[in-house]
Amino acid sequence: MNLRKLLRIARWEVTKNAGGLDRRTLVVVVVAIALVGVVAPVVGVGGVGVDEGIYRVAVDEDSQYYDVVANDSTFVVREPSDRAALEDGDIDLWIDGTGIDPADTRKGAAAFEELRESVTGYNNRQLSKETNQTAAFPVSVTVQFREQSQLSPGGDGDGSQSPGGDGGEQPPGGDGPTGDGGETPGDPPDTGGVDDSGEDPVDDGTDTGGSTGEGSGPGPSPGGFTGPLSEDELSGSPADINPPFPFQSLVLAFIFVIPLNFLIQAYGSTMLSERLNRRGELLLVSPVTRLDIIGGKTLPYFAGAMAVEGAISVGLVYVARGELGGLVSALAIAPLVLLFLGATFLGAMFARSFKELTFVTVTITVVLTSYAFVPAIFTDVGSLALISPLTLVVRDLQGEAVALQEFVFSTLPPFLSAVVFFGLGSGLYREEDMFDQRSLSGKVLDALAGPISRPYHVGVMTIVLIPFVFVIQLLAIALLFATGDISVPLILIVVAVVEEIAKSLHIYAAYDHNRFESTTRVAIILGIASGVGFFLGEKIALLAQLVGLPELATAEAGLSGGIVEGPIILLFLLAPLALHTVTAAVSAVGARTGRRSYVFGLAAAIALHFLYNFTVVESLV
Amino acid sequence: MIEARELRKEYGGFVAVEGSSFSVERGEVFGVIGPNGAGKTTTLKMLAGLLEPTAGGAEVAGFDVGETEMRHHLGFLPEESPLYEEMTPKTYLRFFADLYDVDADVATERMNETLDDLDLQHRDRQLGDMSKGMKRKVAIARSLINDPEVLIYDEPASGLDPLTTNYIIEFTEQLAEDGKTVIFSAHNLFHVESICDRVAIMNEGEIVARGDLDRLQSEYGETTYHVYTTVEVPDSVRENGRYHRVVDSMAAVEGTREQAQDAGGEVVDIRTEQSSLEEVFLNVAESGRQRQ
Repeated sequence: MNLRKLLRIARWEVTKNAGGLDRRTLVVVVVAIALVGVVAPVVGVGGVGVDEGIYRVAVDEDSQYYDVVANDSTFVVREPSDRAALEDGDIDLWIDGTGIDPADTRKGAAAFEELRESVTGYNNRQLSKETNQTAAFPVSVTVQFREQSQLSPGGDGDGSQSPGGDGGEQPPGGDGPTGDGGETPGDPPDTGGVDDSGEDPVDDGTDTGGSTGEGSGPGPSPGGFTGPLSEDELSGSPADINPPFPFQSLVLAFIFVIPLNFLIQAYGSTMLSERLNRRGELLLVSPVTRLDIIGGKTLPYFAGAMAVEGAISVGLVYVARGELGGLVSALAIAPLVLLFLGATFLGAMFARSFKELTFVTVTITVVLTSYAFVPAIFTDVGSLALISPLTLVVRDLQGEAVALQEFVFSTLPPFLSAVVFFGLGSGLYREEDMFDQRSLSGKVLDALAGPISRPYHVGVMTIVLIPFVFVIQLLAIALLFATGDISVPLILIVVAVVEEIAKSLHIYAAYDHNRFESTTRVAIILGIASGVGFFLGEKIALLAQLVGLPELATAEAGLSGGIVEGPIILLFLLAPLALHTVTAAVSAVGARTGRRSYVFGLAAAIALHFLYNFTVVESLV
Repeated sequence: MIEARELRKEYGGFVAVEGSSFSVERGEVFGVIGPNGAGKTTTLKMLAGLLEPTAGGAEVAGFDVGETEMRHHLGFLPEESPLYEEMTPKTYLRFFADLYDVDADVATERMNETLDDLDLQHRDRQLGDMSKGMKRKVAIARSLINDPEVLIYDEPASGLDPLTTNYIIEFTEQLAEDGKTVIFSAHNLFHVESICDRVAIMNEGEIVARGDLDRLQSEYGETTYHVYTTVEVPDSVRENGRYHRVVDSMAAVEGTREQAQDAGGEVVDIRTEQSSLEEVFLNVAESGRQRQ
């Protein structure tokens, strides 16, 4: 690779279209980008006030509901002078001494419902000002979210509940009903179990039962009494219990993904345009390598994306936390940018027209956005969310620290997957594949068979595909773990299918390209090479153990890398090796004689793999 | 300067080129002709390093065709050369000059000189706004920006009007006179005949004949004799007060002379005519079909 030529191609990529844009268009584009950059964080943080002042309420200043209405921006206060306005639709709610009358319209009914909720919030705020909090909130519940595998019958004994703490000494870890004195509404919620001694640092027994409790620090809580964007209405009552959903940070994190979806449209187009009408042929015959060309054409898009994402990081961190930062977010998003670009590059190598490219980019948008976004929803639930780099962004925006191993766990799989995508795509970046109109499946087989000419190449290719397998499996875990009892079998099926395809598809591709003799002996050798490669590559799953992911039963099933001890460790080390080589050999034997026999072989391998995994999981989990 | 050794290219089960071997000397113009699908373009692309041979090998300017360094010594003009139409001829040629490590001043001088020779105006106009002939001239200028020793031109005049075609053929001939080694393919055999020193005739992936034109004509062509007599002889037609008979051997000429003398006349003129390259090509193709 020649860096100077790579940079020259990058400069050309940036400037070659410059002549096609007139100044007015350029100005409009720049202004639009600037507006998006400024408006997006503001909208993300503050939301759009679409419901501001939508209900008109006629209420007198003397009414007990006046303060409720006046303090809710959803309502506009009107003087109750002419009741006919209610029938005319000029007023949505009429409040007087006799009651509350909504207009006989759907909007009137909605206004009434809104008033009901507003009154509840108002009452909670008023009650929270009471000096006797026990009287105000006779029942207080602290919710603590734990990993599924840590749950055990009979309670956890963290002493976090108290209907009216007495301020006295509690046994360490004392059980719930006589805990540390409960919560004070409005305080940052308790993550539970902090004050194991049972001593209340403030409550000396002279107060009326409330206490300061223990907060979990600034920012949205990982659960408990946190309502999205409504911390000021917390009462500690059971009605306020919400799932741990970092709504605000998640919305902000989504802003990172939006530019990538536009980016891949432009990037996919420039890559595909090299292929249409043989435009890229003259670059191929120039004294540059294909890595120079691909790197040079990709660099401006990566650099541009990182500039935008960096600016968003700094802006959002400043808006969310009021301080300069965002380095973690920017670094975390980098592999995601590469993954989007890598997948698009490979897709552009496969697509035969802009119509097909549109299908490819839409698919990439949906799949990768799901991959990035869905796990991040569970940021505050547990380590499972670390599957997505966007989780690191959410945590960064919440002001939480990110450990190095967590960062590596989150970013390495997408980074390596991006490398695989670029590697497979660069295998197609040549005269023979770029300019013909072969089928998608034919090009996939070309990409896989390209680097294979000897049996050990099969093993290497299997290792190369491991990150891809890993990402799909983690995504499957994230999507399926909520399916309840059937989650483990479902995940095991996905695992078996993905792993067996990853171990055998390139063997089939090699046979399709007449790379090897189609004898059973050679097929078994190729299967063993692939199985051994997979066994070695699979050890990347050990990374998962660094952040405790296997503590989830479903994750353990999915990654099939349970931690074992004792003399059976040798069995557990060798059994997967035997499994992978046997199943890969079964597929390879099928692959040597054609597509149909490969499908049969693959199905048999998947069935074997599933049975093995199911047996192991049943005995371990 | 160009050495092809048993070049073979296979796509799946289809053999596009089978065992092509030939060499081209420095300063020589070598033509590759054949019907559509004969393997001409595949052969030229293997020589340019664009396609990897399934078997065999080739050297261009002393370098293996797989080496990146070889491309510094090569100017390649594909049959279709769609350009980056957003660029102007100047920016386009400067970009490629950079990739070929040509010094900026040298590149500017070379670019102006070549475009002058090609009589290309409007050098700051976007390529997308240019005619096909003008684009072809820019493509030729690009193939010369690195002052290569070897030029591989695939159908250089394809799809152009006769005037531009003649211009480009003459320009190519001039390049050969300047010492460039040129190998090119063409459908128009008149162009090949007019500027090539040697040709290779390809059919169905194989080189079925190669050599200088005289040898090919004698081997695959025909020499016909036009005999003009003062009296009528068998198979003759009257033309301008004389009798014209076409025969295909010297023995038949002698026989005609004797027949004229027996009838009291004489032979007044004998003219010979060689087969054109097109006829040679047709004969080669026909003999190939008969072999099958």
